[in-house]
Amino acid sequence: MNAPADLRVRPSLADVADLVGRLTRDFAERAVTNAAIREQHGHGEGMADSALPDVVVYPHTNEEVAAIVRLCHAARIPVIAFGIGTSLEGHVAALYGGVCIDLSQMNRMLEINAQDLDCRVQAGVTREQVNAELKGTGLFFPIDPGANATIGGMASTRASGTNAVRYGTMRENVLGLTVVTADGRVVKTGGRARKSSAGYDLTRLFVGAEGTLGIITEIQLRLYGIPEAISAAVCQFRDLRAAVDTVIVAMQAGIPVARIELLDEVQMDVCIKYSKLEGLQPAPTLFFEFHGSQAAVQEQAEMMQSITAEHGGSAFEWATRPEDRGRLWKARHAAYYASKACYPGKQAFATDACVPISRLADCVLEAKADADATGLIAPIVGHVGDGNFHLTVLFDPEVPAERAKAEGLAMRVSQRAIAMGGTCTGEHGIGMHKLEALVLEHGEAVQLMQTIKRALDPRNIMNPGKTVPP
Amino acid sequence: MLDQLVHAQFAAILPPAALLTAPEDTRPYECDGLTLYRERPAAVLLPENEAQVIAILKACCAARVPVVARGAGTSLSGGALPDAAGIVLSLAKFRRILAIDPLTRTAIVQPGVRNLAISDAAAAYGLYYAPDPSSQIACSIGGNVAENAGGVHCLKYGLTVHNVLRVRGVLITGEVVEFGGEACDSAGYDLLALITGSEGLLAVITEITVKLCPKPQLAQVALAAFADVEQAGAAVGAIIGAGIIPAGLEMMDQPATRAVEQFVHADYPLDAAAVLLVESDGTHLEVAAEMAEIKHLLAAAGATQIRVSKDEAERLLLWSGRKAAFPAMGRISPDYYCIDGTIPRAALPRVLRQIATWSTEFGLTCANVFHAGDGNLHPLILFDANKPGEAERTIEFGDRILKLCIEAGGTITGEHGVGVEKLSSMCIQFTHAELERFHAIKFAFDAEGLLNPGKAVPTLARCGEFGRKHVHDGQVLHPDIPRF
Repeated sequence: MNAPADLRVRPSLADVADLVGRLTRDFAERAVTNAAIREQHGHGEGMADSALPDVVVYPHTNEEVAAIVRLCHAARIPVIAFGIGTSLEGHVAALYGGVCIDLSQMNRMLEINAQDLDCRVQAGVTREQVNAELKGTGLFFPIDPGANATIGGMASTRASGTNAVRYGTMRENVLGLTVVTADGRVVKTGGRARKSSAGYDLTRLFVGAEGTLGIITEIQLRLYGIPEAISAAVCQFRDLRAAVDTVIVAMQAGIPVARIELLDEVQMDVCIKYSKLEGLQPAPTLFFEFHGSQAAVQEQAEMMQSITAEHGGSAFEWATRPEDRGRLWKARHAAYYASKACYPGKQAFATDACVPISRLADCVLEAKADADATGLIAPIVGHVGDGNFHLTVLFDPEVPAERAKAEGLAMRVSQRAIAMGGTCTGEHGIGMHKLEALVLEHGEAVQLMQTIKRALDPRNIMNPGKTVPP
Repeated sequence: MLDQLVHAQFAAILPPAALLTAPEDTRPYECDGLTLYRERPAAVLLPENEAQVIAILKACCAARVPVVARGAGTSLSGGALPDAAGIVLSLAKFRRILAIDPLTRTAIVQPGVRNLAISDAAAAYGLYYAPDPSSQIACSIGGNVAENAGGVHCLKYGLTVHNVLRVRGVLITGEVVEFGGEACDSAGYDLLALITGSEGLLAVITEITVKLCPKPQLAQVALAAFADVEQAGAAVGAIIGAGIIPAGLEMMDQPATRAVEQFVHADYPLDAAAVLLVESDGTHLEVAAEMAEIKHLLAAAGATQIRVSKDEAERLLLWSGRKAAFPAMGRISPDYYCIDGTIPRAALPRVLRQIATWSTEFGLTCANVFHAGDGNLHPLILFDANKPGEAERTIEFGDRILKLCIEAGGTITGEHGVGVEKLSSMCIQFTHAELERFHAIKFAFDAEGLLNPGKAVPTLARCGEFGRKHVHDGQVLHPDIPRF
């Protein structure tokens, strides 16, 4: 077995300077060392703590990515893939310096196979771009984490989002990949066939590996027919338990709802202010969306209304016209930014607990009570249909005690989810912030993850310090 | 022969009746559903709890004894073929359903539980386990996980990998590892996906949490007849292309319908060149709306007859022919060889046409019964092993079909696994760099290569040898592998 490479040793300055020189020669203006660009690539949208790469390179092809990785491999210098920087757990921070590969210029839609319901994209294509390019085909790509993230980044963090309850996460919707391995070779995994039992499932191994096993450069995505009818509705509740119980009953009844989102009264308050939502109260709220034929949508909505009524929910506020639906989901997606904007001077990070649906009420209510007890402002929002919810924990970065309190709260949210048979991360990933929680969640299996990491990246150059503890 | 010392260790772990070494006792384990390959193991061990599995694996690890885990032995690719120097570790006694939780809609089961037994037990709660390989009466859930089994309904409900939440397994070192978790996602690398479909090469499975689905209010199947196989293939594309994901979408061609009709009497249209079975499930309204659209698309694609099941009995009757297709073939031909290649759906008409041409060329009947919605072909080549040369011709015909599948952007196996059967085809489908990743993963789990040796992933040396023999269009396969 290979001895683990020591993570904490930075490459020598001379080696880094050599590599930067070489990349500047090879990539000219596409290899950037100016401080502002490096700073922009040193963090995502989570904690503001930044760790700068030594150089940012903008490749255009798989072969260029492979060439960069081969140079890093030879010089044992870290290499970090970067999409658009919307990740939340410090995935892109260059903890040990090195080369940041910015894939945003690899932004071509390579093929659309309408009859097979799939498409192939380069890693830098954003999810909104996918749907824009699909216009006129009658198809869409449903996964929607809120941010207009790149498909490469979404695959790497195994993103999910508001409609995972109906369409699954990136795990279910990536059919195949092109990956540049740690030694700079281009491999293809999976493919266009709907199923394959040939060889180990490398596709799903790379999905969610956060760039620590290889760099995803192309993705084959599963597509869906745009439903004949879509309608969205809002329902408000007197207390949080009633809202959560509604979700649990709805899921157990098997209603194939496309989205079911929970916002607590604190979150509603900031969303109403930030997104200027009219006619809604700062009370616990569920946002629904139904997809299907006209008849099916109506049937689902009626079933759902009977459940909300039983739990004391308000009458449905409907949003059937596309522009009304757009406004509603825009407000939902802006929840994180709204929380930050309403409390200027505060910093924020999001927790990401996900539990079996039968434990959802306990988990959400205990998290809420815990947050209240800390005195911190921590709005709750969640894709509760699959048991996943977030607290946006706000704290003053200038007050160390507040930061400690916030981190303590976040850790307890993870611990509680794990104790309930759930996970510390439903969709954001591990990055640099959840390594401790990963060990808590998986115990022995973490060793196996480390062995896999060493087997596929023996020099430990792929996004070191993330996803698996050293 | 088992080493005396190792035998003594096993005897200390298991009661005598659970440790088989006499030839007459080990003979039933010499092959699985792929009977072309047979090998007698040194011993067959039948543990009944995880502690025994751990102790056995530790003993095997220390003495370097190969271990082949076995469920119900229904694998079609030789996945459970024994190793002459090793043991077969049968999980047949692990057949308890440990818990069913109707609130989270999950069941915790032991690996030896039969696939259908899970649905039977969950029926009391209005739930069922969705993946339904045709062998579901017999096959075990542990084997389903090891092979990432599919089935008729996986088009809409996913493969085993989509319907399993957690797997508990024992590594060759005796360490117990939990893969995945009870929530909808699990932190870190997706080890659950890695273990699913790993064909017993990474760990021995001892416990599984599966997802259960609510039974749909209504399911209906439409049978559509076509005068032409390509038209039927195009109809599949038209349905999926319209954004409809039916609960099942299966095709049978004329040789297949004729064979099964004698067997099940489902009143299939025997003059049709091909039939499609298209299932819709959901609420009454959903099924009505979807079925209307499906019928419209089938008619537009040239269906000569469309028959929709009026009740559950008729639905089951229409499906019975599809489910009994393999045994029916066994009745009309002394031998048959089933292929499992999978292609992008749009390539269906082209690939089917080519198979028909080759069928004439080889003088061998080929019946097509398959998961058309997934593009998962199951050409059944009928032959008689007693006629000189027929087995060889059959294998060559099969190889050609698999190569065609890869060429069309597909894969050599959709759901049956590689086992020993498709090792050489793996060399065609994957490059040297890709095979190296597979070996790296195997090494991470089982550095000594003791779990199910010689299966699923060919050695690079084998591909080197194979590549030397198979030069395609002047291109040597795996040119980067040193030749011997």
